[in-house]
Amino acid sequence: MAQVEETLKRIEASKGVIGTILVNAEGIPIRTTLDNSTTVQYAELLCQLSMLARTTVRDIDPQNDLTFLRIRSKKHEIMVALENNYLLIVIQNPCE
Amino acid sequence: MFTDEVLDSVSVQSLWRKSQQAAQESKGCQTRVVHSAEAVVQTVSTTISSTQTEPQDQETEQLLLLLQKRDEPEPPGLRDFLQRVEGLVIRELVKNAKSHAFDGLLVNWEDYSQRVSCLHCLQHPSAQERGLHVTSVSWSCTGSVIACAYGRIDDGDWSTERSCVCTWNLNRRGLHTKQADLVIDVPTAVTALCCHPNQPALIAGGLYSGEVVVWDTSRTQDPILAQTGMSADSHREPVYQVAWVPLQRKGEFGVLSASSGGRVLLWTVDSDQGRFVLNAAYALVRQQVPHSSSARFKACGSNTVGVTSLALSPWDPDTFLVGSEGGLLLRCSFSSQTPAAVPSEGQSVTLRAPAVFSFRPRSGPVHSIHCSPFHRNLFVSAGTDGQVHLHSLLQPNPLVSLRVSDSYVFQVQWSPTRPLVFAAATGQGEVQIFDLGRRSPKAAATIVQGDAGQAATCFDFNCQNPHLLAVGKTDGTVGIWQLSTDLTEQSSRESSQLEQIANQVAE
Repeated sequence: MAQVEETLKRIEASKGVIGTILVNAEGIPIRTTLDNSTTVQYAELLCQLSMLARTTVRDIDPQNDLTFLRIRSKKHEIMVALENNYLLIVIQNPCE
Repeated sequence: MFTDEVLDSVSVQSLWRKSQQAAQESKGCQTRVVHSAEAVVQTVSTTISSTQTEPQDQETEQLLLLLQKRDEPEPPGLRDFLQRVEGLVIRELVKNAKSHAFDGLLVNWEDYSQRVSCLHCLQHPSAQERGLHVTSVSWSCTGSVIACAYGRIDDGDWSTERSCVCTWNLNRRGLHTKQADLVIDVPTAVTALCCHPNQPALIAGGLYSGEVVVWDTSRTQDPILAQTGMSADSHREPVYQVAWVPLQRKGEFGVLSASSGGRVLLWTVDSDQGRFVLNAAYALVRQQVPHSSSARFKACGSNTVGVTSLALSPWDPDTFLVGSEGGLLLRCSFSSQTPAAVPSEGQSVTLRAPAVFSFRPRSGPVHSIHCSPFHRNLFVSAGTDGQVHLHSLLQPNPLVSLRVSDSYVFQVQWSPTRPLVFAAATGQGEVQIFDLGRRSPKAAATIVQGDAGQAATCFDFNCQNPHLLAVGKTDGTVGIWQLSTDLTEQSSRESSQLEQIANQVAE
């Protein structure tokens, strides 16, 4: 468990990171650095979006699969790294 | 052509021979002695404190349960997943922080409009014939209905003139600008209006006679849902502001009314009986106003502090701000328990003195106060001195004072979408919109409607459609204006700029 914590701490320490959320296969956040209501909101919405993105990629080419999803908005950038069972969501404020 | 050349000879030294004869050296090192010291600490004083959490929602409870199971065996594959993903994520984060790829990229989802234009000019002919002024406008919570109250702002005397409240639905196809969708007749002039934040049919109004009324526009027969009537509990002076206040129980709202008699009353609506029940009462008297260091009070005139404006703080449900006829600006608290120093006149609830903090007083009545929806400590106030003052809740002196016009300023309000923008309605008939992000003290935009001689008495931003602004004037017209995109779209730096302004210390 300590290793998981350390890894997350390293990611959190990168420049501009506002928060990280680790979501399991059922869409329930298991680790988070943000407050509860925001975490639940992000986890729900991004799970749905990642599934949609994944089916899009696989429909275009069944041999292909989604590895990384980035959403850039006016205020910050959301990065989602995904695998079969887990989702790692990182929200960064890229400095201008 | 051909000449003889003599070149130097070149010699190459043998390396092999050198390496055989290479000298050897040995070196050693030793660390210095490690110094250690012992120290002991003893606490001198101890304190004990405890906290209590509030009951949680269902969903967050489940979330917390999961987050707290730290001693549970690690979910399978989590460690491997993180190992695989960590390097990629960190690389992307670092690249992103240095990237200039998106510099200067502006994306606009809506059509970019550069101009401020007038969409409609709404009039009620019978009110205009009688020369009534528009005293208050309010958008409904859906953003499609505008409610306008008529009355007079220059009246000093009791009048028995009838007036009305008109509503127009702007999204309806058959919008008649000269004919209101709904006209409610009112026995006296209406001085304050406020639409309910959740239920689009309810409108609360304050009358010149001191009554507070709630109209239900969904009823066809008699739109009055509840009114205070002339009881011992109600106001005796004109009610200058009404506001819907969230009560203890979630989803319920009460009506807060403030009058120039110095009373601020909180009512709950009893719709079955058609009347109001007084929930809490506050009275402001001069002796109980806290003195700030720069205030100089002249004890003259009446004892009561006539309230001309009221503002609720969206961040702190306990705080409300009050502006008075004499120029006092006070921060008050709903939960204050100090009894008010007024003789009891048979009210059902004991009067309390709510004032907690006093800001620097103005030289004339404070017509309008509004708390910023983007920063918990900022609010703007405006009065008859033609200036708009930006205050922080924490300091008595204003942070910024802007000269808006040479005559009175009747209303000031923050924009619901841009943290740095606020608008002010002046007695010269203009609504000036200021952007604190710009360096110049001049207005970012000015809305002039109709003749210049008529004062603009009230306006309201539409929270659902942020580019709409309704302005009411003394000639009885209500103009619906569409704002340009740069006045309504937030840019990325604004919150931090607002934070900087708020953290200034006033000189």
